[in-house]
Amino acid sequence: MTAEFARIGRLLFQGGLNNSHSGNLSVRIGDKLVITRRGAMLGELSASDLVPIDLKQDDSGIAIASTEVNVHRAIYRSTSALAIVHSHPRSATALSLRGDNIVPVDVEGRYYFKRVPVFQAKRAIGSEELEGGLPVLLENFPIVMIRGHGAFATGGNLEEGLQISHSLEWSCDILLRCLAMGLSPEVVMDDDGHGDW
Amino acid sequence: MSPHWRALDIDLSTGRIFNTEFPESRVRLFLGGRGLGAAILRDLTGPGTEPLGSDTPLIFATGPLTGAGVPSGDRFSLSTLSPLTGTVLDTNSGGRLGRSLKRAGWDLLIIRGAAQSLSILKVDNSGGELLPAGEMRGERVSTVLGKLGRTYGKSCGMAVIGPAGERVVRYASIMTERMRAMGRGGAGAVMGSKNLKAIVVMGSGEVKVHDRGRLKVVLEESNRWLRAHPVTSKALPALGTPMLVNICTRAGIFPMANFRRVAVGESKAYSGELLAREFTVGRSGCTGCYIRCGRITEVDGVRGEGPEYESLWALGPNLDITDLKAIIRAAHLCNELGLDTISTGGTLSCAMELGSLDIRRSSLNFGDSEAVLKAIGLIAAREGEGDELAEGSRTLSRKAGAEEYSMQVKGLELPGYDPRGVQGQGLAYATSSRGGCHLRGGYLIAREVLGIPKKVSGREVLGKGGHVARAQDFGAVADSLSSCRFATFALTQEYWSRMVSAVTGWEMSGEDMMRAGERIINLERILNVERGIEPEQDTLPRRFLSEPLGEGACAGEVVRLDDMLEEYYARRGWPGGVPDREKREELGLS
Repeated sequence: MTAEFARIGRLLFQGGLNNSHSGNLSVRIGDKLVITRRGAMLGELSASDLVPIDLKQDDSGIAIASTEVNVHRAIYRSTSALAIVHSHPRSATALSLRGDNIVPVDVEGRYYFKRVPVFQAKRAIGSEELEGGLPVLLENFPIVMIRGHGAFATGGNLEEGLQISHSLEWSCDILLRCLAMGLSPEVVMDDDGHGDW
Repeated sequence: MSPHWRALDIDLSTGRIFNTEFPESRVRLFLGGRGLGAAILRDLTGPGTEPLGSDTPLIFATGPLTGAGVPSGDRFSLSTLSPLTGTVLDTNSGGRLGRSLKRAGWDLLIIRGAAQSLSILKVDNSGGELLPAGEMRGERVSTVLGKLGRTYGKSCGMAVIGPAGERVVRYASIMTERMRAMGRGGAGAVMGSKNLKAIVVMGSGEVKVHDRGRLKVVLEESNRWLRAHPVTSKALPALGTPMLVNICTRAGIFPMANFRRVAVGESKAYSGELLAREFTVGRSGCTGCYIRCGRITEVDGVRGEGPEYESLWALGPNLDITDLKAIIRAAHLCNELGLDTISTGGTLSCAMELGSLDIRRSSLNFGDSEAVLKAIGLIAAREGEGDELAEGSRTLSRKAGAEEYSMQVKGLELPGYDPRGVQGQGLAYATSSRGGCHLRGGYLIAREVLGIPKKVSGREVLGKGGHVARAQDFGAVADSLSSCRFATFALTQEYWSRMVSAVTGWEMSGEDMMRAGERIINLERILNVERGIEPEQDTLPRRFLSEPLGEGACAGEVVRLDDMLEEYYARRGWPGGVPDREKREELGLS
C-alpha cells in the first residue's frame, strides 16, 4: 500500500497538482481509513507518512493525521468511495474563483464531467462546513472544487482519484487559454451543452 | 408511474388469483427486481420453509427500467429459495417476459402452491389462467418454446423448464424464449416442484415513462459511454463472453480439471477467437440490448445458443476436455434439458476427481467427452448415476466422505476463475448471498483482471473487503433495476440514477442507489442467517486455502481469506458476519 500512496503522490506532485507540502490522500480499509500525515510531502511519501485511523472515533492517530481527516471521514461515511485524492490544482483553483461551476469546453473534459461544482466555505480548510457540504456534492459528482482552495476527488482506488484530478486540471488549462484568447466558453461549446464525443 | 406496484398473485394449489399492490415507498427502498423480490420473499417465507415445498414462492419481478427502452435494461428477476444451497436465491434473464409483464400492467408475478398436474400459466392484461400441459411432459426446451410460439405468438415472453426441472434436479434452470437461462441455484427445480412447465406472458399496453425528454438526454449520454467502452462496444460484440478464455489464461487464473491446475500459455483449442471463427453463425442478445454478447453456434448442422464463457469452461477445460465441438454439444444439451451449465460441470468434475482418487466409483473420467454427454442426459432424467449427480457436488462429495473435492461455496458450484490469483474474487465467492457465484459475490474480475475502471492487483488482499462490498452493492442495484452487468462496466451509478429518475420520477442520487444496494445485500444476509446459513459458511474449498497454485502467472498463491473477511465484515458493519442492530436500523431493516 505504501508503494501505491508513493506512486500516486509522486505523480500528483510531478504533474503540478500539488506543491511540495500541499494535498492529502486516503483509502478506506473496512471500518478504518489510512490517510497521509499532516504536512507530508506527497512527492516523497514513505511508510511513516501513512496514518491508520478509525472511521468514526478518534484515536492517537488524530495527532498526526492530515488536518482534513474529518472531511475524508465524512465523505466515506456518506458515499461508497474507497479512495480520496485532495489536490491543489492551479488552473482549477483560479477558475473556482469566478463561478459556482466549472464547465469544461474540451472533449475529454466533457467526456468525464458535465460540470464540476464549486463549494463556497467561510473556512475552507478542514472545517465542519466542508464535512457537511462536500459529501452531499460528491454523491453526484466524482470531483468537487472548494473555492480558492483545491479539489476533492473520489474513486474506487487512488489512481481513479488521480486521473479525475488530472483531467479536471487539464480541462481548466484549456479553458483558461480559450479565455485568454478572448473566446467565451459559449462560443467554444456546442449548443447542446453536453459534448459530441 | 403508478403510486403502487401491481402484482398478479397466483395460488397454483387452489387456482385462486389475487391482485396485490405494493406501495411505491416500499418499492423505492429496494428499487424493484432482486431487491423487491428479497423483501417479498421475507414476507412470504419463514426459517423452516423448504425450497421444494409448496409454500415457497416464485417471485418474478420487473425493475423500474424494464420496458422503458433503456439500453441493456430490459431484464427481469426471479426470487425464490434455492433447493441446491438452501439460501435466498435470485436469478435474472434478458428475455421478453419482463417487458411483457409491464405491458400487461403487472410489475410482479407471484406464484405459490403447486398445481395438481403439469400446467402452463398464461398471463395477460386481464389476469392469469392455468392450462394443462400434460402433452409437454418430458419435452425439451426448444420443443416447448416452439409449441408455445405457434399457439400464442412469437412476441410473448416465455419461461419454461426442461426435463431436468420436471425431475427436480437441484440445479435445473429456467429458460426464456431466447434460450437465455435463469441458471444458477435450481429455480427450475422449484418451478418443476410446482408442476409448472411454462409461463407465457402477453402484454399489449404501453409502459409509462415519467419524463421522456429527460430520459432522452440521459440515454444519449449513456449510449455514448456504451459505444466508447472497449468491452461493451468491441470485445463483447465481437467475441462474446468467451473473450475471457485467453485473458484469464494469461492472468494465470483459468482453471483446469476441477481446479487441480490452471491453463498455461494460449488456449488456442477452445478460445473465444476459435469459437468465433469456426462455429459462430450469428449473434444474439437480450431484449433491448445492442451489445448482443450471445453467440449462435452450429456443430454438425445443429444450431444452438452459446456457449458463454462459463459454460465453455465448466463443460470443457474444467473436465479436461479441450475439443470445442464436444464442449458446444454439451452446452447445447444442457440448454435443451434445462440444466445450469456451471453446476453441471462442477458436479461432473467433482465426480471425476473422486473417481480418479478411487474415493467413489464412477463411469466418468477427465477428458472423456462422450461420457459427459451421456451423464448430462442421465442427470436430467435422474437415471442411474445421474440421480446422485442431480443432487449437486456438495451432496455427492459428502456422501463419499470427501467434501474437500467439491469446488463450491454454500453448495453452489464455482465459476471459471481460480481465486488464488484473484484474491478479491475469492472473498466475493465466500460472501455471495447465493453461494459460490461471481455475480452475486461481486464481479471482481472487472477490477482485478480487466482493469475496470482501474486495475487493482489480483494478488493483493488489503483493501479487497471494500472493493467486494462495493461491487456487491452496485451489483444488487443493477439486478434490482433489471439492467445488465455488462452495461455497468460503462455506466456509473450516476447514470443509472438519472435513468431511474427520468422513468419513475423518483429523485435519487447515485449514492442513494448504492445505499439501496447495501440495504438489499444486508436483507439477503439476514434472510440467510434466519435460514441457518451462518457466517461460518463464508469460506472456500480447502484447495484454495492450502494448496498453492503450481504454475502460471500466480504460481505459489493461496487465498488469504481470513484477512479479507475481517476487513469485509468491518466495512459492512457486520460484527461476527451478521448485521447488528445499529446497521439494521440504519438501513430500515427490522
